[in-house]
Amino acid sequence: MRIIVFVKQILDSEAMISVKEDKKSFQFEERFSLNFFDEFAVEEALRIKEKVKDCEVLAVSLGPKKAQDVLRTSIAMGVDRVALIESERYSILDPTYTAKVLSGFAKKEGFDMILCGERAMDDENGIVGVLLAEYLKVPYVGSVIKMELKDSRGITVNSEMDGGLFVYDVDLPAVFSVRKGINEPRVPNVTGVMKAMRAQIPSYEPSSFGVFSPKTEIVEYHSPGKRPPVKIIEGKTPEEKVKKLISLLKEEAKVL
Amino acid sequence: MEGDIFAYIELKDTSVRKVSYEVLSAGRKLRDTFSSKLFAVVIGFGVDPLKDELKKYADSVIVVDDEVFKEFTLDTYSSALYDLVQKFEPSVILGSHTGYSKFILPKVSGILDWAILADLTGFEIEKERILFRKPLFGGRVISFVEVKDGKNMVLTFRPNSFSVSEPGLAGEVRAERVEVKKNERVRFLSSQKKEGKKADLQEADFIICGGRGMKSPENFKILEEIAEIMGGRVGASRSVVDAKWRDYEEQIGKSGKTVSPVLYIGCGVSGAIHHTMGIDTSKTIVAINSDPNAPIFSIADYGIVDDLFVILPILKEELKKAKEEV
Repeated sequence: MRIIVFVKQILDSEAMISVKEDKKSFQFEERFSLNFFDEFAVEEALRIKEKVKDCEVLAVSLGPKKAQDVLRTSIAMGVDRVALIESERYSILDPTYTAKVLSGFAKKEGFDMILCGERAMDDENGIVGVLLAEYLKVPYVGSVIKMELKDSRGITVNSEMDGGLFVYDVDLPAVFSVRKGINEPRVPNVTGVMKAMRAQIPSYEPSSFGVFSPKTEIVEYHSPGKRPPVKIIEGKTPEEKVKKLISLLKEEAKVL
Repeated sequence: MEGDIFAYIELKDTSVRKVSYEVLSAGRKLRDTFSSKLFAVVIGFGVDPLKDELKKYADSVIVVDDEVFKEFTLDTYSSALYDLVQKFEPSVILGSHTGYSKFILPKVSGILDWAILADLTGFEIEKERILFRKPLFGGRVISFVEVKDGKNMVLTFRPNSFSVSEPGLAGEVRAERVEVKKNERVRFLSSQKKEGKKADLQEADFIICGGRGMKSPENFKILEEIAEIMGGRVGASRSVVDAKWRDYEEQIGKSGKTVSPVLYIGCGVSGAIHHTMGIDTSKTIVAINSDPNAPIFSIADYGIVDDLFVILPILKEELKKAKEEV
């Protein structure tokens, strides 16, 4: 059985970021991390592997050379093999383009299961998984919080959608996106980290999986409008403060 | 842009969600600008009565009411919507980035091989071009995105991004039968739906959020009471969810939900960037914290520096009064 986990390197949420004057790009501090939700996907794949014989877990990322780091993290956690589909630089990509490149890779490699995190924290789309499944013509279940493999051809999954819990039986091959709470991702041990440091990371051109052109284009970047400074509400007593707040919310903010 | 517009109606059980009216407003704006026809598309079981309400917001209401939609499977809903697209040939499909829509719409874009833009917060029309507003990096950068060929696009919007437009249309109603393709490879086994008529956290107009400063899970009771009075919801910071005081469903921030209520009140929330990324698009932010240096005050509109447990009971009474006056 082969499980492919698609992982993404994203700009760390604490990295400095600002829009350039020409509005055509943004500059950022080079601080990256493995997308938070993808850690759960890697962990879940490893847990399935621990339960079945002959299971290979493959972590794959589409991103710049620097994205090797998240593949090394995956190796340190315990995946068997990794691959980098190398793009020029870190940027926000068209989701149909990303999903087509990844589906091209998956087709070439073959798979029984594809796992991904429920969304990436840079573009916040959360749609590449479902697109990928559609391009590959295999079943998809999103927001998965529990997976139970029945045999090499079928799996039972619990999905939490819209505040409800749904249970489905799914034939493999299939694509799943997992959400926080499905597991507790492991912390790599020293042996894993050593292995990751030494690992050779194979790299591919996106074009080796087909020629795809983005359907959308980012025309401009803007900085969000800055909120005016906070008004700290003064008052002699707590009652006075609350009363002042309520009247400001009514008269000034007009939200009550 | 040319061609007609589908607005996919997201439901809560068998009633129309507020966000669907926002989607219809977005559709109305495009319709008025480009002289297109706006269809409200509702798919479900027991949804036929919704047509009379929806026709005030669209030129045409398409209702597909069938028992097969009683339980959610992605393939049945998507194949029905796809079938309607084939029949009515719109060039734009709008919907919300919530509930089932955030799975159905991307799936249909995949079947059609159309462009998709997700979790948008608005758009601007420049002559024939439409520039869609999409926040990136938790709202720290706003991008404006264009669909290259100007048609064949699926767009999903973040709740509370549009005000609901006045009714005023008098659409025709069409009951449609569609071909529903079940996917035999995904079999529905069971579902448990959460009780209650409360608004979805992402759709709520009012959110009162508790952080570590709430000190214990029991203390969230008063937040529940305030939320109840205001018809809103309780939210939680990550540390509170990690400590298992509250459900993950309520988590706001980078690894939880992005919300944009009309009024957000943070109680004992420190305001780490992980959290503020999720509340950035709220209209008014109030912070109550005993620490005057808490980072939440740098994003808040109004702040009270005081003991939470003294402030909250007073706040509850005052909000109750304010609510009764309206």
